[in-house]
Amino acid sequence: MLGYSFKRTFQLLITMFGVVTLVFFFIRLIPGDPAAAMGGDSLSGAALEEIREKLGLNVPLWEQYINYIKSILRFDFGDTITTSLSISGLLLKALPITLTIAVFTVLLSVMIAIPLGTMAAFFANKGKKTLDNAITWSAMAVDLMPTFWMALILMLFLSLRLDILPASGAINIDHPTMLIKRLLLPILVLAISQVATLARITRTAVLEVLNEDYVRTARALGMSEIVVVFRHALKNSMLPIITVIGLSFAQLLNGTVIVEFIFTIPGIGSLLIYGINSRDYPLVQNVILFYALVFVAINFITDMIYKKVDPRVQF
Amino acid sequence: MKSWKTGLIIFIFFAFGILAAGCETGKNNAANSPDTTSITAKTTSAGSTSPKILKVRFYDDPAGFDPASIFRIENENLAFNIFSGLTSYESVSGKIIPDLAESWNTTDNKVWTFKLRKGVQWQKGYGEFTSGDVLYSYNRIKDPKTASPYAAEFNNLDSITAPDNYTVIITLKAPDGNFLNQVANYHQGQIVKKEVVEKFGDKLKWNPIGTGPYEVEKMDPSSEMILVRHEGYYKGPALIQKLIFSIIKDESTATIALQKGEVDVVMRSSLEQNLAILEKAGFKMNHTDNYAVSLKVFNLKNPILANVKVRQAWAYAVDFNAISASVTPKTQKAAKSILLDWMEGYSENTTQYKYDPVKAKQLLTEAGYPNGFTIKQLSTSATGISESMQLEQEYLKKVGINLEYDLVDTPTLNTKRNKGEFEISGRLLPAINPDMILFSYLHPDNLAPKGLNGASYNNPELTKKLEAARAEVDNTKRLKLYEEVQQIAMTELPYLPTFSSNVYWPSKPNVDGIVINKLAQVNFYTVDIK
Repeated sequence: MLGYSFKRTFQLLITMFGVVTLVFFFIRLIPGDPAAAMGGDSLSGAALEEIREKLGLNVPLWEQYINYIKSILRFDFGDTITTSLSISGLLLKALPITLTIAVFTVLLSVMIAIPLGTMAAFFANKGKKTLDNAITWSAMAVDLMPTFWMALILMLFLSLRLDILPASGAINIDHPTMLIKRLLLPILVLAISQVATLARITRTAVLEVLNEDYVRTARALGMSEIVVVFRHALKNSMLPIITVIGLSFAQLLNGTVIVEFIFTIPGIGSLLIYGINSRDYPLVQNVILFYALVFVAINFITDMIYKKVDPRVQF
Repeated sequence: MKSWKTGLIIFIFFAFGILAAGCETGKNNAANSPDTTSITAKTTSAGSTSPKILKVRFYDDPAGFDPASIFRIENENLAFNIFSGLTSYESVSGKIIPDLAESWNTTDNKVWTFKLRKGVQWQKGYGEFTSGDVLYSYNRIKDPKTASPYAAEFNNLDSITAPDNYTVIITLKAPDGNFLNQVANYHQGQIVKKEVVEKFGDKLKWNPIGTGPYEVEKMDPSSEMILVRHEGYYKGPALIQKLIFSIIKDESTATIALQKGEVDVVMRSSLEQNLAILEKAGFKMNHTDNYAVSLKVFNLKNPILANVKVRQAWAYAVDFNAISASVTPKTQKAAKSILLDWMEGYSENTTQYKYDPVKAKQLLTEAGYPNGFTIKQLSTSATGISESMQLEQEYLKKVGINLEYDLVDTPTLNTKRNKGEFEISGRLLPAINPDMILFSYLHPDNLAPKGLNGASYNNPELTKKLEAARAEVDNTKRLKLYEEVQQIAMTELPYLPTFSSNVYWPSKPNVDGIVINKLAQVNFYTVDIK
């Protein structure tokens, strides 16, 4: 396990270095000038040059690259170009918000989807097609709904009609009650689509093991069907489910962009979109660096859980 | 297994806790939240002295509020209420009025003497405003180190002197009848304080301190910005104590927030369907019409577009009136000139192009394109291809012009447009003043990529008139010259004015005094809650 950890840490460093390099050069390949984005579309040539010089964009690309690597090694993530705000400060503010949304979305969807998917598998195995179809098809229907549409529908219903949740309001620690209420809607919206995916994966995975020998043995031993399905079959079909949970968590942490936009949640996704739109090189570079770290870390954790769930898994 | 179950129970407990808290506080929304104005309205009507708070929807991430670098209307709006200029704009008419300068005089449009108001106080205890602040602010804009995009606005400045604390004398290199616009409460005209700039440096963007009616209490650029009234404002404190600008990017969300009473005013609402919902529900539809004009920029370096008959054919081929009437009846109407109808010097006494596909076809034939041609328009993916754009395509197809849209993201669009890498592109002309618009877009000194003349238009006759107009002291003669410039521009059509847009700030019925000026800004000094 220790050797594995070292190996993975080394891999992580290589990956991060690759990400840093690729992002640095790729973002500069995109047409669009941060100086122009900063000054507005009526900026004239001379003023543009002055801004470029001020931003350090007038030196050769390789020099900019070396400067960037040096600053990362010093853990100095610098300021954004457009707003002059500290990037680490922005990330530290956005991260807890996105993290909260992601964690609760995953927990909520796991709580609903796994029993639902297992039930569907159970019905399917019993030959109760109608109940199985009801669950599978409704999951599919929900999955097909666009996130932005569902977000608006839920907002219309829960905010405007029922007046349970706010549609807007400050998201910061100064207003804790408001913060919790504001995060509920995005969690609900994201959880609904996660439930749909996860329930279908669970159904397939459980259904696969329901005809295995050990399940038959459990039945033969006189265990109740519920115990057979939920204790024996579900546990043994956890591997694909964990993979999906891990991946969806990583996705949620990174890609809640639409939901963050609609609900104006100042999370990581909003930060990245802002950075890209304003061609804020340092901001985009560092947010993506952070994304890469999260992905690698989640992969690592998923692997560890694998090992715990199925000791036969070898690294 | 056991710990798993315990975890589950804790989670369910927590989840229900949050939900219950949400429901409970949701029901008592107005009573619990100190920010909502429904409570403000109730208590003030009952005669209590609790402060008046106005919540305003702010529609994008703010990019900072340093007058030397600020751009984008929503940011300018806050700056407009924090800073002051020597002059300002009257909200309804758009006319220049005194602000920090009590009065001014000039005999030749070249030497301008400003008498400053005495006793004006800076916010946050920075003392009295004097002529030294004006000198510092203007020199700061001109200083290449500041890298202000507005430095060019002061290119004509020869010298600025301050004989005493309350007098500023500005001498221009060439006479300029529009100079009062350059020193107004907008961009380069906003006065900053030396000590503040030196104290905050790069962070000045988030610590703007001016002499205007409102000062910053809190800046949370990802969530909300709070301004409180400047108690020492020279006209006396504003009526509303606190302005809370909440960032709500999605317009449908903003509409719901207004309906729910979470905000009192929606800064800029531009979707027809949302405006219709709010109007029907009885909200105030504060708006200003013709605040900016959209131009189609024909790149004259393109051999097809270089032919004036092609450009005129385009204007005849599309019925912009019908498009705006059917698709955007509230937010847009067809434009008739490069200038806006409320501007000094605006004239409709120019070539007007009424929808006439037969004439368009005839002009195309004369130009050598009897079967039309295919051409691309550079456009932003941020708004996509709107219904109006699709209709324009259809109109053009009828006369044989095949218009394709080349969608790129906004920063790419700006770069390509500045470099002149397009066949056709669009511009939304900011409403500043006629002189600036005509000079920027038509004068050869401003040819792209150096300046805004993206059509690469150069007509010596027109240039001569433009320069004569700027120098002209007699106002009537100057306006006559502007009219002639517009006549030439509308005949030659390097830019085709398509639509003029309206700005809406819907509000609750109890919000009074939202007057959107011609720069799409609201002076919150006169706003009140009944």
